[in-house]
Amino acid sequence: MKRSLIIAGVATLLLSGCGADPEGGSGSATIDYWLWDAAQQPQYQQCADAFHKANPQYTVKITQYGWDDYWNTLTTAFVSGTAPDVFTSHLSRYPDLASQGQLLPITDLVTRDKVDLSAYQDGLADLWVTRDGQRYGLPKDFDTVAVIYNTDKLKEAGIKPEEMSELTWNPQDGGTYEKVIARLTVDRNGKRGDEPGFDKNHVATYGLGLNTSGAGFGQTEWSMYTMSNGWQYADRNPWPSRFNYADPKFKETIKWLTSLIDKGYVPSMDIISSGVGQIDTYGAGKYAMVTEGSWNTKTYWALKGVKSALAPTPIGPTGKRASLFNGLADNISAGTDNPDAAWAWVKFLASPACQQDIVAKQAVIFPAIKSATVEAEKAFADTGIDVKPFTMHVKDGTTHLAPISDHWADITTIMTETMDSIFSFKSDINALDPANDKINALFQ
Amino acid sequence: MTSDTVRATPRLTAGAVPDKSPPRRRRLGDLPIAIVFVLPAAVGFAVFYVWPALRGVYLSLTKYNVLTPPRFIGLENYRQLFGDHLFWNALKVTAEYVVLNIGTQTVISVLLAVLLHRLTRSMVVRGIVLLPYLVANVVVALVWFWMLDFQIGVVNQVIEWLGFDRVAFFGADLGIGTIAMINTWRHMGYTALLIFAGLLMIPPSVYEAAAIDGASEWRTFWRVTLPLLRPIMALVMVLSVIGSFQVFDTVAVTTGGGPINATRVIYFYIYDLAFNRFNFGYAAALSSVLFVLLAGIAYLQLRLSRAGESDLKGS
Amino acid sequence: MASIRWGRVAGWAVLVLVMVATLFPFYWMLRTSFSSTRSLAAGAGDLLPVDFTLGAYRRVLGLSSTAEAVAEGGSTGTVDFWLYLRNSIVVATTVTTGQVFFSSMAAYAFARLRWPGREAVFTIFVTALMVPPIFTTLPNFVLIKDLGLLNTYLGIVLPHLLMTPFAVFFLRQFFLGINASVEEAARLDGAGHVRTFFRIILPMSKGPISTLAILVYITSWNDYFWPLLVGKAENVRVLTVALGVFRSQTPQGSPDWAGLMAATLFAALPMIVLFALLGRRVIDSIGYTGVK
Repeated sequence: MKRSLIIAGVATLLLSGCGADPEGGSGSATIDYWLWDAAQQPQYQQCADAFHKANPQYTVKITQYGWDDYWNTLTTAFVSGTAPDVFTSHLSRYPDLASQGQLLPITDLVTRDKVDLSAYQDGLADLWVTRDGQRYGLPKDFDTVAVIYNTDKLKEAGIKPEEMSELTWNPQDGGTYEKVIARLTVDRNGKRGDEPGFDKNHVATYGLGLNTSGAGFGQTEWSMYTMSNGWQYADRNPWPSRFNYADPKFKETIKWLTSLIDKGYVPSMDIISSGVGQIDTYGAGKYAMVTEGSWNTKTYWALKGVKSALAPTPIGPTGKRASLFNGLADNISAGTDNPDAAWAWVKFLASPACQQDIVAKQAVIFPAIKSATVEAEKAFADTGIDVKPFTMHVKDGTTHLAPISDHWADITTIMTETMDSIFSFKSDINALDPANDKINALFQ
Repeated sequence: MTSDTVRATPRLTAGAVPDKSPPRRRRLGDLPIAIVFVLPAAVGFAVFYVWPALRGVYLSLTKYNVLTPPRFIGLENYRQLFGDHLFWNALKVTAEYVVLNIGTQTVISVLLAVLLHRLTRSMVVRGIVLLPYLVANVVVALVWFWMLDFQIGVVNQVIEWLGFDRVAFFGADLGIGTIAMINTWRHMGYTALLIFAGLLMIPPSVYEAAAIDGASEWRTFWRVTLPLLRPIMALVMVLSVIGSFQVFDTVAVTTGGGPINATRVIYFYIYDLAFNRFNFGYAAALSSVLFVLLAGIAYLQLRLSRAGESDLKGS
Repeated sequence: MASIRWGRVAGWAVLVLVMVATLFPFYWMLRTSFSSTRSLAAGAGDLLPVDFTLGAYRRVLGLSSTAEAVAEGGSTGTVDFWLYLRNSIVVATTVTTGQVFFSSMAAYAFARLRWPGREAVFTIFVTALMVPPIFTTLPNFVLIKDLGLLNTYLGIVLPHLLMTPFAVFFLRQFFLGINASVEEAARLDGAGHVRTFFRIILPMSKGPISTLAILVYITSWNDYFWPLLVGKAENVRVLTVALGVFRSQTPQGSPDWAGLMAATLFAALPMIVLFALLGRRVIDSIGYTGVK
């Protein structure tokens, strides 16, 4: 009757959704792969195509999520069973995931397949080994930080490009670095930041852009200042037991940086947390210079109507420059349906076939394999980008490791709240004291 | 069922109405056939309402990350909850949201309903005001997130043209208010139509009498319309408040709880704990507390609405 | 007289203002979706699309390559519109059909049948109306996970398929109002309860049932929270969830506003079309639930 018709209809509808697993068959598999940087997606798509050609039984499906949502999307996916087989991972993030048992160790696979770990830039490979000796990733790239500036704005301000590589910085008066930032800042009446009558409430071009408050990491926001002021994230790295966010050196650095917001040289939190990011704001001519990671360089050069150049980060009170030295790798989810396929793809991503023959040539990032790094520098030069300000950190030994620590997700939550609050002048700098206590309590 | 449908309940909570059909059988009456008719719903009710409610209470007493079995820890979650500033913050933020959302929504909806009632019977006009309600929260949130952007949102563009400073609609100070207004925008037409239907029930003779007495439009509204609307308003509000407490979608796709937790409403906090931080047990404890809280509010409101109902009968 | 006239003018002015405030965001959605993302910052206040392009639609529908999308400042995410539309339709239709049907059966038993314990059971159902959904959502998620139904249609529809307290409630109220003599006549003809229900009660309650169906359909279609938890996988992803996912596929820097607006338009369109077709019926439904 009618009723049975309805029920039959409903049943058909429902069943069509179940068990619709496109995979299966003899060893063929689709590998779900996530990354967060859209600018890197094209070259990894090329790697995926090359991988598929070499291993026709495997297909790689790439999905990108923006950095802001990436980690939450990932943890939710672990809970709800939609995690990718392989995903781009971050040094600060993988320890948490590993300790929760979400990652597949590849220690034995690396030994079995005799992967040559010495091919990577020195020290990179071992960053992906946890304290219990398990290896979780093979390095794919490394990055450092430099200053990117708008050459026309520099000329208008009467600053010579040579000056840009000699800038010094200190937390008291900001040094020549702050002078340049002030000079580059222009209000809507054309008055510069270092001129009398400058209207800090109506700034047309900020001398220095800002991406976020940096939370507990501050890679491109403040790490080059804090570390050139002699500060370190924690008592030791990797695997710290105490963090140093309440250290006077850290506080004075952050205080200095936020003072630039107050002076109108650096945009406020309202501006930087709006729906236009640092790159596009810079592209619209509203920032004269920015501190950026090497991975974004090419995107700046691709901006229409803006000409850019690179400069090194300023020399700090220690008499040296500083930059974080960070690297990415690909992790395999412990729950993957097809560990063989996942490993094959991870191995391919970490091989010269992907890093040297494809990724390096695109001049977007520095691949982790030494010979591929050379290739990438050449490719950058061909595009007209002199990447010395990035690579000089490695040559001069002014790099510092990104923090590799347990509880990083919790640290990020605490520090996002605290730093956002300080940067928007809702809290005093001393809000860092309780925050740091809370973080250290995590390690007890 | 989610908030929206629940918002439409008025009147039905008045309790069981006595059966009008004459007695047909003795003893068990229609029990066998009644079981057949009630069974599917009863199964649904037991499995998806009663069982999870019990299980929720149990989970709130455990440490549970969904991936490994729950571990019983007694009242530890509840103890933790009292010292959790994010929980109190979430309650505060949610309360702010509810007050702003319900306040503006009610005022605008009443105004709109009265205008519709006095000015036009046009289906097109009513259709237009209802339009936002038909579109998902997520859609509405994104459109406004875009229009209210600090740097390139059209609203700020207009504000600047008018010579004022740009407004950080999604900043720490205004964030929750903005989100409340966005949802007011989505719901005002819907609520207005509910109230409009209530207005249609007021007999025209009441207005004629008021006109004969020489009462002004303004006076009529306050002295006649509003008191007569009170029962329906009270019920619309009970259900709106419960729905309003469930704000999640808008926050999830715009601010994600920020900046500085200014928009971390209770639903979002619970979601965040459960799914982003593997803290299911604690999240369950929070939902239990929210349940108790809402039950209290609903009880109070129902009492108020009863008072409203007697008011109607008196007039 | 004159003052009343002015009152009317002011009234109409407010009404028009409200309608503009209601319609403008829809226009802005359209305008932005035809713009180029990279140019939006420069033409933030332009009333017409900035750098008119169909790029956003091509991106969203997955018609442009990853490299093209990146070059346009767009998201590399795509919305598999037809798949997600199908999923939304399957979910909303199944939930509506099941919920309305099973709830009306229960409502009939509560309204027209006499059996011991009727009032008690009904009161328990009623109480559930006051339970905030989050209270049952988390355990329901665990249940669906334990049943292995995550990322299946069944998992998404199950909790709302058999009943909601509201639906039972709403229909019981109408069934109570049906005149007993109608039923008596059917009984005299020898019809059983089942026959009476299908042949008499259901046809007589077309109005309230379609009202309920419309409301359930809208709610189910617009639901985000539950399908986000249990149905994020692509083969069962519904439009609202797809939109949330697209939103998080922000390229380096800024959200792809043009793409996002094109996607929101896609997500909103089916309901708007349905509304255009059913217009009066939907509007009447709202008033109906309000007063009855």
